[in-house]
Amino acid sequence: MGRQEPKMRISERALTVWRLYGWISAAFTLLAGAGVTTLALIFDWSVWFIIGAGAALVLEIILFVFVLPTLKWKRWRYEVREEEIELQHGIFVVTRTLVPMVRVQHVDTEQGPILRKYRLATISISTAATLHQIPALDIDEADQLRDSISALARVAEDDV
Amino acid sequence: MSEEKRLHPITTVINALKTLREAFIPIVILVFLNRGEAESILDYLPFFIMGAMIILFLFIGVIKWWRFKYWIEEGELRIEQGLFVKKKRYIPFERIQSLNYTEGVLHRPLKLVKIKVETAGSSASTDSEAELTAITKQEADELNRIISSAKKKLKEEQSELVEGEEFVEQEPEEHILYKMSPKDLIVMATTSGGAGVVIGGVLIFLSQFGEVIPFEAVFAELVDFVEAGFLLAGIVAVLVFFFAWLIAVGLTFLRYAHFTVKLVDKDIVITRGLLEKKQTTVPLKRIQGITFDQNLIREPFGYTSVTIESAGGSVLEKDSNAIRLLPMIREKETYAILDQILPDYHWKTEFTGVPKRALKRYIFWKMLFSLVIIGPVSYFFFPLGLASLILIPFAIILGWWQYKTAGWSASRDQMTLKFRGISKQIVYMKKKRVQSLEWTQTIFQRKGDVATIHATIKSYTSGSHSSIAHVAKEDADLMMDWYSPEAEVKKVHEPTPVPEIDTP
Repeated sequence: MGRQEPKMRISERALTVWRLYGWISAAFTLLAGAGVTTLALIFDWSVWFIIGAGAALVLEIILFVFVLPTLKWKRWRYEVREEEIELQHGIFVVTRTLVPMVRVQHVDTEQGPILRKYRLATISISTAATLHQIPALDIDEADQLRDSISALARVAEDDV
Repeated sequence: MSEEKRLHPITTVINALKTLREAFIPIVILVFLNRGEAESILDYLPFFIMGAMIILFLFIGVIKWWRFKYWIEEGELRIEQGLFVKKKRYIPFERIQSLNYTEGVLHRPLKLVKIKVETAGSSASTDSEAELTAITKQEADELNRIISSAKKKLKEEQSELVEGEEFVEQEPEEHILYKMSPKDLIVMATTSGGAGVVIGGVLIFLSQFGEVIPFEAVFAELVDFVEAGFLLAGIVAVLVFFFAWLIAVGLTFLRYAHFTVKLVDKDIVITRGLLEKKQTTVPLKRIQGITFDQNLIREPFGYTSVTIESAGGSVLEKDSNAIRLLPMIREKETYAILDQILPDYHWKTEFTGVPKRALKRYIFWKMLFSLVIIGPVSYFFFPLGLASLILIPFAIILGWWQYKTAGWSASRDQMTLKFRGISKQIVYMKKKRVQSLEWTQTIFQRKGDVATIHATIKSYTSGSHSSIAHVAKEDADLMMDWYSPEAEVKKVHEPTPVPEIDTP
């Protein structure tokens, strides 16, 4: 059966945020679509341009607002153990990452305006050569996790 | 050596030449813009601009040299430079890994060296390093001695030596590990594909001068030529290849002549070069991993090239981000040399291959890719384009070959990955050097119960990534367990010994 999946899930509010991102990008598609439609009407292009733009918009809303965020959220797992951090994510390509605690160089939390509104934060874990992120954790949990990781992470000089 | 110092004045010329080299293409364009008949003074304008530019470069070179000062103070190498914005860079000795020497054509008659300060550079900023463009060899050696003795003293203080044990400074022991013979160099130039590159370069060069060379006349002659017999054409082709090969050999000699690997104390020192002598120092403890690389021509002859991945250091080194330790050597000769440098590595490991169900995955994608090319080519160039069908057997052979090559092994403290793009690569990594381990699994891979494993080690400021596609999923999990510190702890506490992951 192999290694067990990491146990912890990211915040459920991530779903709301990702859907919001989906709506925002859909709004841009709407703008572009409106542009195409206007041009099509002015220059008498084929009606298929308008249909295409509309279809793209609908498809994008279905995918990026309803389908993908849920799948993405379901797949996202992480677990911070005493000596290692394990992550798993990805919809079409599942990625499982293992980072030993001694490899961790530093941990950051960051939040943009949208994440802040929903009291969420992204954790970035840097090793000497790689960067790993856990998106959208509850801010308190993220702060606590950041502190505990940076306490657990000790960099041995020999090991860089 | 604590007083402020300037670099050797030749620096001004070197700086100017460097700037000029960067401006080479604009200058060439300027010259060619002016190819027509000169009718008025305006037609000479580009040359005036050029002349002014060259003077300006020289002037900037002088200013730069004038403003550049370096000195040693409080266990730091301090550098001050800049015209409008004064830049000060203080590098503590313990952050300095090594000083790398380069002797260019301009340096050698004056007994000067260029020094590149290699720092541990954990951050990705290019600002973390420094270069002293031209100082005398004595000064360089003096600097080197001060830094290394300061570092030793520091270490001594940290380790708190037992009383009575005196710190004795000794001349570091030099031990030559490997020297490249001229014969090796010729074999290397021949098998590196460099000749091909030279031919390509000549063709590109010729195409640039399309207007200058009367191609039509040349073609007309060429037709006569072909009529005169294929033999002659054949001879010319052979000659072209021969000259390309000669140039490749020449270039290889320029860069790699006198290639010597020495072990000095705990550093590997690599020296090479004919006109420009280069010396690279790699501290042993900075070595992150070792890669064996065998290209298609070298593989059947048992030749390989060995490179080191090293952490930190300067981004200025443009050659590649890995250091060539043994550019060209018979594989069986490598182990004796490597054992002297890195005795804790196991060079001969048994590899676990990828499962049989991986074979079709290796072949499938290459087939698909070749079909993407073949389709349009066959369609648009109908009868001739069908020749592209030849890609299919190649795709199959390459896929099968990659499948055959792919393999991994994980012993107690070392992971070895073997894989092939077109060249075969074997990467040796110590567990404690692996920064993160990862597997990925696409939807198709999940069906076949296989996964792709990725290991990242640090290489200079970024990471070096090695991966094997389509290993059995349970093997991927085994590797994760091997890598996981938690699983290690569990293993220790378990009463019954867990079977060694080392290959069956």
